[in-house]
Amino acid sequence: MKKLRVLLADDHVVMRTGLRALLERQANLEVVGETENGRETVERVEALKPDVVVMDVGMPILNGIEATKQIAGEKLNTAVIILSMHADESYVMRALKAGARGYLLKDSAATDLINAIQAVSQNKSFFSPKVSHILAEDYVRVLKQKGEVDTYELLTDREREILQLLAEGKANKEVASLLNISPYTVETHRKHILEKLNLHNPAELILYAVRKGIIR
Amino acid sequence: MSETHIADSVTSGARETRLGARTALIAGFGALLVLMAIICIDSLHTLAAFAANNTEIRQDFIYREQTLSQTRTALYDSADVMRDYIFVESQPDLQKTLEAELQSIREQTSASLEACIQRLPTGQREPFENLEREMNRYWAMLDPIFTLSDKEKREKGGFLLQNEVLQQHLRILAITKDVTAINGDDLRQAEQKTEQVFGEFRRRLLIAGTIALGLGVVLAVATVVYVRGLERSVEEKYEQSVAARNELHKLSKRLVDTEERERRAISRELHDQVGQSLSALLVDVEGLASLPDEQGRFRRGLQNIKALAETSVNEVRNMALLLRPSMLDDLGLVAAVEWQAREVSKRTGMLVDTVEENVPDDLPEDQKTCVYRVVQEALNNCAKHAQAKHARVSLKRVPNHLKVTIEDDGKGFDASRVRGLGLVGMNERVSQLGGTLKVGSELGRGTRISVDLPLASV
Repeated sequence: MKKLRVLLADDHVVMRTGLRALLERQANLEVVGETENGRETVERVEALKPDVVVMDVGMPILNGIEATKQIAGEKLNTAVIILSMHADESYVMRALKAGARGYLLKDSAATDLINAIQAVSQNKSFFSPKVSHILAEDYVRVLKQKGEVDTYELLTDREREILQLLAEGKANKEVASLLNISPYTVETHRKHILEKLNLHNPAELILYAVRKGIIR
Repeated sequence: MSETHIADSVTSGARETRLGARTALIAGFGALLVLMAIICIDSLHTLAAFAANNTEIRQDFIYREQTLSQTRTALYDSADVMRDYIFVESQPDLQKTLEAELQSIREQTSASLEACIQRLPTGQREPFENLEREMNRYWAMLDPIFTLSDKEKREKGGFLLQNEVLQQHLRILAITKDVTAINGDDLRQAEQKTEQVFGEFRRRLLIAGTIALGLGVVLAVATVVYVRGLERSVEEKYEQSVAARNELHKLSKRLVDTEERERRAISRELHDQVGQSLSALLVDVEGLASLPDEQGRFRRGLQNIKALAETSVNEVRNMALLLRPSMLDDLGLVAAVEWQAREVSKRTGMLVDTVEENVPDDLPEDQKTCVYRVVQEALNNCAKHAQAKHARVSLKRVPNHLKVTIEDDGKGFDASRVRGLGLVGMNERVSQLGGTLKVGSELGRGTRISVDLPLASV
């Protein structure tokens, strides 16, 4: 089996060293490079075309979110996992919008990193359990504060099924073949889902799925 | 310390000088008023005395003239009576009547003369006494005529009358002329004296008036100088206070800047150094935990270390966020405000909505921090003081301006009276960047804080 090629981007040497040691114990993973700022990361990604980039948020010159945006813009088939100290929605939302597929907390990186790399390399999303937990908690709290009905209740069973598949990172075509329906039907469902849940883009859809605990 | 003392003593010295000057001015104006009052009273008094004196002089003169004229009339009348008496014979009744008439003329004239003399001052009596004496001699000359028989009257009467009595008559007339002349002189003298008194009064008035005028001029000049001094000192004070205020503004800006810089430095340090090191430590601990450990002794210890490090990471992160949220630097203003809103909401249960329109992520540092701190303070007020259920933060970018409002549905306050609540600090931050901060609040009707911040056109 082909080894997964990983690039580590963090301006803290100790962190990089720790992560490298962790990854090198895995037979199916290979650390192809280390970078310490956003600009360098973008350049190295273009040159090395790794499968996965593990990206710190706070980096000099160009921060991790901006670097992710640029990498996603290149459409290189490189998945980005954001490595952050914060389980806050602002970070998660912006990471997703920038095009990251995984969001890991640094304090649980050692436990979850391997799983995260595996997941994103298969086009799935991955969030630290703590992040999912906090986002879900926030979601419930706000619903309760506002006294509003959970919009999830408005979805049909088919829509819920499609929501999960889309949130896992599958394209319309994949969903269509999985469910044996046409991609146009999937697109129509997708529109309805976004409308009912008052969502506006794929990033929000994924965030919503995480909050609801549909994916993790 | 010593400088303060010097400044104090200088101030108190200036105050004493001013107090002295003011007392002097008040005294001067008092003296001027008293002087003018004296002039007024003196003038009225003198004029009244002058008028009285003038009347008296004229009355005296007329009275004396009357007396003299009466005396003259008495002379002629008595001469007529005597003539009649000499020519009347053998009519004792008529004789008696004539004698009585003469007696009456004599008594009246003597009484008038005596009264006139009594009214005169001693020095001026002499001419009238002389006149009285001559009149008495005249009367005395007439007395023997009444003792004459008819025969004797025919023989000597005409002679007596024509010689002795007429002589005396003429002498008296001459005396009355003299007296009239003297009386006229007296009148002139009195008038001259009045003139002199009047002149003196005029001189006195002139001197007093001049003094009053001089004093007035001096006082006016002194007052102008004093007022100029006051004005200058007020101007100085004003300039000082303006300078002090500017200095204060500068200081407060520096304070705010320094505080923010320090917060950021410490926050960075905590977040990037301590936090990251602890995270790295966690990664290493995880690595160690995966090594073979037959008795599980190491694993237990490593689990303790892990738990401790995780707690520490959380604490360090929270401390760093409290000092200055990393979102502000990593993600921009909107993300930081949204985070703040969620935090307040989590902590207090107040619902916070955030609305954003066209706000760029790359706002200048000062504006970003300013708005964030204002929102933070305002939301804390909403939750803590206003006990609001719902708050709404709106950030809107319009051409060259950033408009921020924070509204709540809390109990509000009287915006015209209540300061504090960190409003002064907010206002200070905003005005330092050339913006305006408005607070609209009424008791029971919530609070609305609006900030308008100019942005350099990009």
